[in-house]
Amino acid sequence: MASRGQPQRPNGSGQSKICQFKLVLLGESAVGKSSLVLRFVKGQFQEYQESTIGAAFLTQTVCLDDVTVKFEIWDTAGQENIFLILPSFCRYLRYHSLAPMYYRGAQTAIVVYDISNAESFQRAKAWVKELQRQASPNIVIALAGNKADLANKRMVDADEAQVYAEENGLLFMETSAKTAMNVNEIFLAIAKKLPKSEQGGGGAATQGGARVVDINKPANNSGGGGCCK
Amino acid sequence: MNEEYDVIVLGTGLKECILSGMLSVSGRKVLHMDRNKYYGGESASLTPLESLFSKFEQSDTNEKFGRGRDWNVDLIPKFIMANGQLVKLLIHSGVTRYLEFKVVEGSFVYKGGSVYKVPADEKEALATSLMGLFEKRRFRKFLLFVMDFKQDDPSTWQGTNPKSTTMNEVYKKFGLSSGTADFTGHALGLHLDDEYLNAACGDTIQRIKLYYESLSHYGKSPYLYPLYGLGELPQGFARLSAIYGGTYMLDKPIEELVMENGVVVGVKSEGEVARAKCVICDPSYCSNRAKKVGQAVRAICLLNHPIPKTNNASSCQIIIPQNQVGRKSDMYICSVSFTHNVCSKGWYLAIVSTTVETDNAEAELKPALDLLGSIEKKFIAVSDIYEPSDDGQESKVFISKSYDATTHFETTCNDIVDMYRRVTGSEFDFAKVQKDLETVEQ
Repeated sequence: MASRGQPQRPNGSGQSKICQFKLVLLGESAVGKSSLVLRFVKGQFQEYQESTIGAAFLTQTVCLDDVTVKFEIWDTAGQENIFLILPSFCRYLRYHSLAPMYYRGAQTAIVVYDISNAESFQRAKAWVKELQRQASPNIVIALAGNKADLANKRMVDADEAQVYAEENGLLFMETSAKTAMNVNEIFLAIAKKLPKSEQGGGGAATQGGARVVDINKPANNSGGGGCCK
Repeated sequence: MNEEYDVIVLGTGLKECILSGMLSVSGRKVLHMDRNKYYGGESASLTPLESLFSKFEQSDTNEKFGRGRDWNVDLIPKFIMANGQLVKLLIHSGVTRYLEFKVVEGSFVYKGGSVYKVPADEKEALATSLMGLFEKRRFRKFLLFVMDFKQDDPSTWQGTNPKSTTMNEVYKKFGLSSGTADFTGHALGLHLDDEYLNAACGDTIQRIKLYYESLSHYGKSPYLYPLYGLGELPQGFARLSAIYGGTYMLDKPIEELVMENGVVVGVKSEGEVARAKCVICDPSYCSNRAKKVGQAVRAICLLNHPIPKTNNASSCQIIIPQNQVGRKSDMYICSVSFTHNVCSKGWYLAIVSTTVETDNAEAELKPALDLLGSIEKKFIAVSDIYEPSDDGQESKVFISKSYDATTHFETTCNDIVDMYRRVTGSEFDFAKVQKDLETVEQ
């Protein structure tokens, strides 16, 4: 993943360039983060999705006119969880155990809340603040009000979320992983908004000195041997 | 918390996180807690810079250091051997996908008051002023012997025996001077002291082979370093553990281990007891079951220039063999910089470390600190090194050893492999990790 955020040209000219971006999901437990990804990547939905176990690292591409955007999608692996027997808000913050490495170098984030859960919207705002403080300054943030199919249990007003998103420069859509409403659309909107320059793609590119190496490659196979300077 | 776990792990240092990851992948139910708000315990990289200042109870952080959050300062300096066990673990577990690495630009050794580059290839070996012309030929013969050496093939032993011939005898056999032996045992074999001279040569030959095999991967030095600091390593393995069902709690005070008839049954935290069949922890969570075996001293130095005489390397290691400065144990300098996203632009970090031998630990570091040029800010940490007082077979409390003064992760991995065997009763098998991963991912 050494070339994250940088355009690669596939073999043979004439094809569009591919830009790869790290996308992270944030939001309270059970708002449907994994479900959104599952719908986007595999077109599937499971009503009783268990807490995220197993594959928490997926990729999916979106084709724009002149460029293919490849998302490297990081799911939280349940590390946003706290113990359910300690439900109060301050406890939540205390046991928040998501590692900084998770959103480090992320060029884009989808912050998810559940429209039928008011507290999850407050948590989403806290995540946006955290990203503005900790993540790359150019990060593209999208706010997703998920479970839009549960309109009869709505606790978060769509207009209120829209105003909040505009004030903070976020993309905003209400989505439903269940009905697939706006799922592809929100990823597409992100793909369009991401900077696809020749240099660095807007992420926290590494500075100067030696190049990054791929340790998965066997010895002396790094194409031309050199890796430094 | 009132659930029952297979394993409770306390502390999110690298050893604990790797074990947690391996155990979760193998299907065990793991609860992993840390009293700190951050991952990594002793092996964390502190960020922002202000948290480093406050850890050392200093408040005079200064604008000249740039943005505090551009800093990720390792508390324990180490580099990763390109062909070592940790890289195998990273690859087999897939944790590499969360990390990015750069090759350390140079490895240097201190001799007679000066710093020399450790020759990385034949050309450098012929040009080095580390040794004279005839000594170079003898050394070359020795190296060829080492590279051909196979522990299980006596025809490669050239009359030595890896289990009985001492390393001293091997040096004599090849006619190497004590200066060359110093260089070989400490800068290539990475021994901390001279005890190895009278031990069987097999281990040292293996170490020199590891050095050169690692060197041959990328050419400049045998070492790798992860962007954003070593603290990324425990985070990566914690993520692996979480992906396979491990539960994480940070900032969680631990009151005590709950014992019944001398066997651990759980951990008490904030008045609640989480039950488990065994506990894995670092010595700080269980000081009554660990014994102090020594001290390490480390000086974290903030520089606004590369270390002099290292060809402006943005990262390097300098080894100061004990004999060169009249000590019993070696001193190490590990240097990284803003090019590894651990400092703000234009800054360098140099961490000096050694095993404490006197009452004035800071003074012991002088020969190394003198090599660094001007130092903008220096933090000195003296830490006790603990080992478990028993193997945990009866109590089911398995305690890791503190991180020693060695400059790479080989002893760290040895401890992990050993703990895994004691915890699970089966040998650690790198290939099996991968197989377990594939099974789960299907």
